[in-house]
Amino acid sequence: MTVRPRPWRGAWAKLTLRRRVAVAFALVSMVVTGLLAAATWNLASNYLVAQREQSATRQASVNVLLVEEALRSGTTESLDDLLTGLAGGPDTTIALRRAGTWTTSGRQVDLAALPTQLRHLAKQGVPVRQRTVSAGIPVLVVALPVYEDGAVYLEMFPLSELDRTLRFLSAVLLAGVAVSAVLGFTLGSWAGRRALRPLGELTDAAARVAAGDLAARLPQVDDAELGPLVETFNDTADALQRRVQRDVQFAGNVSHELRSPLTTMINAVAVLRRRSADMPSAASQAVALLDADVHRFRRMVIDLLEISRADREIDERDLERCDVQEVVAHSVAERESCPPAEVVGVPPLVLADRRRLDRVVCNLLDNAGNHGGGVTRVAVIGRDQWVRLEVDDGGPGVPPAQREQIFERFTRGDLAGSRGEDTGTGLGLALVAQHVARHHGRVWVEDRPGGGARFVVELPGIGS
Amino acid sequence: MIETVDAGVAAERTSVLLIDDDARIRQALGLALDDEGFTVEAAASGEQALTMLRDNDVDVVLLDLTLPGVDGLVVCRTLRARSDLPIIIVSARSDSGDIIEGLEAGADDYVTKPLDAGELAARIRALLRRRRPAVGEAGRRFVLGDVEVVPDEGVVRKAGVEIHLTRTEFRLLVELLSAGGRVVTREALLQHVWGYDYLGDTRLLDVHVRRLRRKVETDPDEPCLVLTVRGAGYKVARG
Repeated sequence: MTVRPRPWRGAWAKLTLRRRVAVAFALVSMVVTGLLAAATWNLASNYLVAQREQSATRQASVNVLLVEEALRSGTTESLDDLLTGLAGGPDTTIALRRAGTWTTSGRQVDLAALPTQLRHLAKQGVPVRQRTVSAGIPVLVVALPVYEDGAVYLEMFPLSELDRTLRFLSAVLLAGVAVSAVLGFTLGSWAGRRALRPLGELTDAAARVAAGDLAARLPQVDDAELGPLVETFNDTADALQRRVQRDVQFAGNVSHELRSPLTTMINAVAVLRRRSADMPSAASQAVALLDADVHRFRRMVIDLLEISRADREIDERDLERCDVQEVVAHSVAERESCPPAEVVGVPPLVLADRRRLDRVVCNLLDNAGNHGGGVTRVAVIGRDQWVRLEVDDGGPGVPPAQREQIFERFTRGDLAGSRGEDTGTGLGLALVAQHVARHHGRVWVEDRPGGGARFVVELPGIGS
Repeated sequence: MIETVDAGVAAERTSVLLIDDDARIRQALGLALDDEGFTVEAAASGEQALTMLRDNDVDVVLLDLTLPGVDGLVVCRTLRARSDLPIIIVSARSDSGDIIEGLEAGADDYVTKPLDAGELAARIRALLRRRRPAVGEAGRRFVLGDVEVVPDEGVVRKAGVEIHLTRTEFRLLVELLSAGGRVVTREALLQHVWGYDYLGDTRLLDVHVRRLRRKVETDPDEPCLVLTVRGAGYKVARG
């Protein structure tokens, strides 16, 4: 393709690929049919005009013979009759010039309006033929010399019929070109969509992978051109999935290996703690520190094990019918500073792993307590076969930019880096997100009306 | 081997056999359980444990599943075949499959590492309480179909023939019988039988119910005595 001027290129580039394919199809189709139409027009119109001219000339020649015959016979009346008779149709004009004056019959026209050159040549006795427009209608003028000295026979054949035919032909050809352009565009659009469908699938699959669905793959195709792309995409997705699984597996394995030493540590520290009253103050302080951190370490290992387990599907044997309201009520009752849960509507039961469901609720309540200045409201809402849990806190809320991020592992929002008394393990919300996703639910954080954050979990209910 | 702190009260203390191949866990858990008031014996392998149990009486066995030589599950089945000695599996494996397998092998409870001696002590005490009849059961006798239960004597007969239940299975059956045909929620059962305050492992319950059915039902696949109430819990058939 040749280099186009920039503005053109810009406008062209702005079109979608599919639109560009369609436009190209339309242009090609228009050019091809345009050329065909032009050729057809040329051939047809030339042929028709030539035919008409030939027949007119032939008729004029015959008429001249008749006129000559009449002149020879000498009666003026018979000549007039003949001329009137020859004129035939209303649009035909016949003129005879004898001794410098014109006698006309048929349609009356001003002969002076005829092209000068034509009149001039005709007067000189040269056979002439010309197409022109006379008094509003296209005509073919044929002028022939009559044997009588200086006499000229002139006949004007109306071309209205031919003109209409040619107009009609041109209209048909133009319409043909237009229709072919439209068809070309439609075909191009369709072909573009068809050709780009795999691209759409690729985009969808890539988006799914980006959204965390590492199992998203493209269906195998036999197409020699698309095949390698599909294969490359699937291989890449495979590699990514393996990599992620390895990382998770690694975290799981490390945590698993930590179970035994941690058991030793927890119990050894428990023995020390029991005797800390008898220790020097420095030693008992050290034991208290050790005790607190060993327990935090333990929670972290348990969370890590949980999260590496959560990457797999939930074992069906762990699923049972659970009443979210009851699970929430229990967790709320365990916490002193937590208001009782509101219940709105009739929340349906959910099919869930009760232990994981409890973790979701506990982690949200703990999160509100640790980072959100305490729980201000807990609500369980039943709505169209969904159970919705809302946990509101009285903290500063979560800025929009961090609303996805806080559900990732070891993200601590604005508290990143700070390790206060009890800031959790950094895995709490990540576990919430994983557990909820494994239960085919949704979780997100939004602004609570009046300030603070609102964590929302929605789980599908069991159809009763 | 752990020496008891006070030989004088040793006779009244609950004795525990801790089977774990990790020497450090044996020592640390031994010390901590000793603090909790248990006399701890320890074995490093299944073979050693089985030999020790032939000569000594213990009240509870704490069993790790990952053992050199004889597998923990085999040890569990062997012990269960011998007696209804209470067994708590203390394992690093936490998958549903492992837990169900361990419970099917006859364990009374299943806890996962890491855990502290305090939690383990609570589990042991709850397990030992199961032997004693609860208040209000003294002198009672339950009849369920062709099954007769006498809590005072700890005896269960089916069609007049005595059948052998572990104390957990026994406690579970009595809990259900005491409700007299009303539904007992899973939570209530876990709380009363295992001492879990709320979120006990429901697999624990399901496997035990399965084990119980195998012993008391005529056709365990079509239970007509111990019935499941979906989404709620279990109950015994009325009348």
